[in-house]
Amino acid sequence: MDSIKKRTYDAIVIGSGISGGWAAKELTEKKLNTLVLERGRDVKHLRDYPTAMKEPWELEHRGQMPLDVQKANPIASKCYIFKEDAAHFVVKDAEHPYIQEKPFDWIRGYQTGGKSLLWARQTQRWSQLDFDGPKRDGFAVEWPIRYDDIAPWYSHVERFAGISGNKDGLPQLPDGEFLPPHEMTCVEKYFKEQMAKAYKDRPVIIARCAHITKAQPIHYQQGRSQCANRDLCQRGCPLGGYFSSNASTLPWAAKTGKMTLRPNSVVHSIIYDEKKQRATGVRVFDSETKQMMEFYAKIIFVNAAAFNTNMILLNSTSNRFPNGLGNDNGLMGKYVAFHNYRARVSAEYDGFLDTTTEGKRPNSSYIPRFRNVFKQETDFLRGYAAGLYTSRNKIHDNNAIGLDLKNSLNAPKWGNWNVGSHIMGETIPKESNFIALDKTKLDPFGMPQLRISIDYDENDEKMVKDYLEQITEMFTIAGFKNIQTADSHQAPGLDIHEMGGVRMGKDPKTSLLNEWNQLHACKNVYVTDGACMTSTSTQNPSLTYMALTARAVDYAVKV
Amino acid sequence: MKRRTVIKNIGIALGSFGSLPTWAAGWNQATFDKNNSFNNEKLLAELVETLIPTTDTLGAKGLGVHQFIQKMMTDCYDKQAQTDFEQILLTINPLIIKLFGKSFAESDTKQRIELLQSLAQSQDKKIQNFYNTLRGLTIQGYTQSEYYMTRFTDYEMAPARFYGCVPVKK
Repeated sequence: MDSIKKRTYDAIVIGSGISGGWAAKELTEKKLNTLVLERGRDVKHLRDYPTAMKEPWELEHRGQMPLDVQKANPIASKCYIFKEDAAHFVVKDAEHPYIQEKPFDWIRGYQTGGKSLLWARQTQRWSQLDFDGPKRDGFAVEWPIRYDDIAPWYSHVERFAGISGNKDGLPQLPDGEFLPPHEMTCVEKYFKEQMAKAYKDRPVIIARCAHITKAQPIHYQQGRSQCANRDLCQRGCPLGGYFSSNASTLPWAAKTGKMTLRPNSVVHSIIYDEKKQRATGVRVFDSETKQMMEFYAKIIFVNAAAFNTNMILLNSTSNRFPNGLGNDNGLMGKYVAFHNYRARVSAEYDGFLDTTTEGKRPNSSYIPRFRNVFKQETDFLRGYAAGLYTSRNKIHDNNAIGLDLKNSLNAPKWGNWNVGSHIMGETIPKESNFIALDKTKLDPFGMPQLRISIDYDENDEKMVKDYLEQITEMFTIAGFKNIQTADSHQAPGLDIHEMGGVRMGKDPKTSLLNEWNQLHACKNVYVTDGACMTSTSTQNPSLTYMALTARAVDYAVKV
Repeated sequence: MKRRTVIKNIGIALGSFGSLPTWAAGWNQATFDKNNSFNNEKLLAELVETLIPTTDTLGAKGLGVHQFIQKMMTDCYDKQAQTDFEQILLTINPLIIKLFGKSFAESDTKQRIELLQSLAQSQDKKIQNFYNTLRGLTIQGYTQSEYYMTRFTDYEMAPARFYGCVPVKK
């Protein structure tokens, strides 16, 4: 009995990444004894950032991964983070196998803080136009919440996390609680002006991002300080200059004395009590002792990362739920979607040649979605946002040899401005895009392996084509030269924005979660990570997960 | 010797690997490790030094760029690329001896540069790859050295600022 008591908490949070960290913070602040289960190793802020202070010349291969590591990790090697300075935060292929029914590059970060250490830190809000998407355009199901429901929670998480941005007054990209914005470059400002002249509906702004551009008391209280523009974020930030669970929510939760963080704890399933008709705890495989253990709580938050959350719920079978916890309608794992990041456009600009930038900006400019925003206008559904970045590089004479080469390297000349853009396209959740547990193959932790069957469709192809055409047109109007378009045809997954499978909705027949992120059929289980997303819109999703999490915890402790 | 003649001779000596000297064509990893690694390190050092020479500031050799290239070759390139690179490397001395009567180390700067220019202009894919790899890694090793970054760039690990539009420094 004592042992059971010891393993009983008020709440359990599965996962310590960007949303799990928020669940931990909010639950412990509300005085709940909370167990946070992390499947990977522990990564403590400051202590476990081994490369954070390394100079470029101190990296053995200047960042490049040795060939044998690349060959052993064909999936991870496709990810831009899998470099010498941060590869230790990325899951190695062989350790965590999965089955690709169709090509899908599943990038994972199994450690305390999860992918919050590695994310690109872009934090654009959704607007009501995004929440209206599925209903207006007739796909997926209607969102059960409106922008007004989540807006105060956006504010809540923004103030704590520290979000820099400019108040742009755009209906399609609502303003938030902003710290001072990063500067746009002269060419970005020029481009913004040109677009305002050429189009009535194509604003260009500085992106909003989770960097402390001016520290407030709330940030100092977390032990964080102003971002020093190192732009080495994926190594972990000794200053806590960007938001991560490790630097922010987890130490905050720990400070309450109410959090127990348990790394190396791979959640196998959630325990459902048929009599009580609710979940009573979780089964955990301890990856160090190789023992199965059970932990108990009245409230369970599943924040394992989108696909892992699906896996845990699908693996939580009982007489009542033979197909997975809360999966009465058989839709769990289906209607997953992602962001289309396939296309890029680059160019040069030979204006403003007497100017450049100084310092580093861990951010870029941003072209909010302009297609089908207020009404349907094209032959494809939804639209795309675009990143926009410009920089001025120095160039040397590559063909020189000897003194000429040395002189050219030691005193390089300024080149033109370089301009780049990439697509962030909304994909439509469909029943045919799904994930499921394999019936026989287990992973090294005794969990069924995940089968992934996700592909682009005609809508995505049309969108890529339109993006390339439109950005080319916009760059041409701006007078940019040497415009080059590229479609990488990369498999889904590298966006690291996989979403859905446990979608929110109004009707238990067609969705898994209600408007408070509770499983319709098992109300003390909450899902507030990417798995809950009904549709994907174009914004980088983490900020929305954070806001949904804080909102759901607020509700969970009241009921 | 005129440039044109050098190029022509390289065409004869290296133009196709069917006509490689027998000892080079019969090369394998074991013979390389046993017999040539030390000499090759010296030769590589002279090659990078020719590309980026010592002046009143350090050149590529003084910065150990040849060792960086060896490390990158060993750890980051596949066996085929390593073999190809080393195969061409082994032909450098026989070739320059044929052209100028002296080894690469003994040749003067002008002769060394002439040889490198000829490699750069070769129509042979393997020679092109060799030269491009050598040049690329030499420039990388040099420009990413602490010495270069702290003397010739405005590198700061933590600039603590970003200005989007400043005048270019004259």
